[in-house]
Amino acid sequence: MLQVDGLTKRYGELLAPDDVSLTVRRGEIVGFLGPNGAGKTTTMRAIMQLVAMDRGTVTWDGRPVDLATRRRFGYMPAERGMYARMRVRDHLVYYGRLSGRSASTAAASTDRWLERLGLTGRADDEIQTLSSGNQQRVQFALAMLDEPDLLVLDEPFAGLDPIAVDTLSDLLREEVARGTALLLSSHQLDLVAEVCSGVVIVDDGRVVLRGEVSELRSASTSRVVAVEFATVTPWDTAHGRVESDDGRRYRVHVAVDTDPEVVIAEARARGDVIGYGFSPPDLSEIFLAAVGRDHMEPAVVGGEVR
Amino acid sequence: MSTGQRTDEPGLGTLATVRLVAAREVRERLRAKSFYILSGLLVLVILGIGIGSRFVGDDGPGTVHAATVGPEADRMADAISATAEALDREAEVRSYDGSAEARSALEAGDVDVVLDPGDLVVLFADEIDDQVLAIFQQAWASVSIESGLTDAGLAPDQIESVLSPPRLEGESLDGDGGDTGLAVLTGTLAAILLFVSLQTFGGYVLSGVVEEKSTAVVELLLARVRADQLLAGKVLGIGVAAMVQFVAAVAASLVSLALSGVEVPSAIWSAIPMTLVWFLTGYAFYSMLFAMAGSLVSRQEDAQAASAPILTALIGAYVLVFTVGYIPDSTASSILSMIPPVAPLLMPMRMAAGAAAIWEVAVALVLLVASIWGVWKLTGRIYAQVLLRRGSRITWRGAFAAAAGRG
Repeated sequence: MLQVDGLTKRYGELLAPDDVSLTVRRGEIVGFLGPNGAGKTTTMRAIMQLVAMDRGTVTWDGRPVDLATRRRFGYMPAERGMYARMRVRDHLVYYGRLSGRSASTAAASTDRWLERLGLTGRADDEIQTLSSGNQQRVQFALAMLDEPDLLVLDEPFAGLDPIAVDTLSDLLREEVARGTALLLSSHQLDLVAEVCSGVVIVDDGRVVLRGEVSELRSASTSRVVAVEFATVTPWDTAHGRVESDDGRRYRVHVAVDTDPEVVIAEARARGDVIGYGFSPPDLSEIFLAAVGRDHMEPAVVGGEVR
Repeated sequence: MSTGQRTDEPGLGTLATVRLVAAREVRERLRAKSFYILSGLLVLVILGIGIGSRFVGDDGPGTVHAATVGPEADRMADAISATAEALDREAEVRSYDGSAEARSALEAGDVDVVLDPGDLVVLFADEIDDQVLAIFQQAWASVSIESGLTDAGLAPDQIESVLSPPRLEGESLDGDGGDTGLAVLTGTLAAILLFVSLQTFGGYVLSGVVEEKSTAVVELLLARVRADQLLAGKVLGIGVAAMVQFVAAVAASLVSLALSGVEVPSAIWSAIPMTLVWFLTGYAFYSMLFAMAGSLVSRQEDAQAASAPILTALIGAYVLVFTVGYIPDSTASSILSMIPPVAPLLMPMRMAAGAAAIWEVAVALVLLVASIWGVWKLTGRIYAQVLLRRGSRITWRGAFAAAAGRG
């Protein structure tokens, strides 16, 4: 189990992260969310022992993380980087060996991952000749080589097409099912909601919200009434706060105890309603509320706030 | 929870890590076409110099094609060959029966010079060669003496011992070297070779470090190895690849010397092992400083500017070779040659001149090796602080402050 406790780093006047704590258990996927500059990358680097912290500890299974331990951590930095002129297989084997594997173990693991990622035919090509999507796959393989205990992935899905996202998130789920702990940061909140069991949201260096995605949603004191009109229809309800991009589809944020029928009846009185729904806010709405980029009061969002 | 059976090695120590990093460096460099093109060009240039100077060298003293005339022509021919050999000149002598035949051979270009004792003239085809004249004079003298001694009734073996006294050897009060010109030449050559190699191979390390930082691959690497292990492996690996080029250049130089026909002074052979020691230590010292410079920048374009202080130090040491190095016995020379950044260039010069005491060499080496250790550890700390700080160039002052603050 990964345990991060009270991580703090000062950059001049700024603290990011500022007293960040989080836990990732084996077999668990935790999404690490927050606006740019909130301190996610620094926290992930701190877990990999790449930056010195002013305060706080990182432990794995209760012990401080040393070189031998973090060689068992798969890592994907936010800034992707490989030796452009190295051949794909050479690069992976080299990294496997730096992780402490024997030459034969590293080679076997490399071939297995090349196979799983459909890169076997490119094994002897130089990295720089690969498309950016394929380079990203190699970067994935570097992190996943030889069954890591923990995966720390900084924006693993950035720049990938939906098919690649699908393939790679399936592979991640398999790894986690095998018993790996996974911490990933992402701005693709729909994806996070789908993949992650828990999330930790940071803003200005501080954790503003944490918990299971489903619990956060159901615990929210807010609900969303979604209404779709057949044509563009002006609607300004007194029951909640209205959001609409095109004047036809609306999402109305209402208090949890609001009767949705009343709101929908009001909509019907305005125009031709062709669809409606009632649901807890989705993760991106919870996120926006949590980081204060929303008109909702943070207090209406449930979950454990620190 | 079970993570299956893994065949982990019992832990990767510093030595094993450094070896892995170095092996990648060597493998990738030997895989690049540019490495062979560059090495090939180097060898070709060096061989070209040798071949070129052979043709230029034909203008200098070469084989004497001489003709002798008269009843003593054969004996003169033998005497000329023997005398010329003693003076390191080769002579090819033909004897002719009459002056007319010899002259026509001279005019036809078959021979360069005709000796006709009958009219006491040495006739050259073009310029008068004073050394050839002297050879002929001495050869004629020994033939005349031999005739006189034979007439006086001496036996042939007695004549032989009179005409060929034991050869004299040259010695000098300055000890066995004696030839200060040659010592200076050897020291200068060593300094030039070291300067060019340190600058070239230091440049390889510089761009290698900048490559790792600019492509951000270094973040992956530092998740697996310590900064000082990465540094040591890099310097070692590039050093090994550089040695391949270095050895190719030295081998080409020797072939080149043989091709040029110039005789290699033995002092150069004896200077090679020590030059190698200074090359290795100097390379370790300077390349780590170059690596430190490389870790401060994120783009290859900035690398030259960042490495300027290192290059200045190297050039400074080089300049000292041609100033205090030429007065190797001075106190200034003695002290400067023991200072780590200067020692690799200045000490070989003083050693070649025979001016360096053993203790001075020992002190210089101990200080240099200690500095290499210090620079390694310091660069390792700076590395760990700055390699992930990409973007604008980090100042030297900022880097030292970061290294002093943490780690």
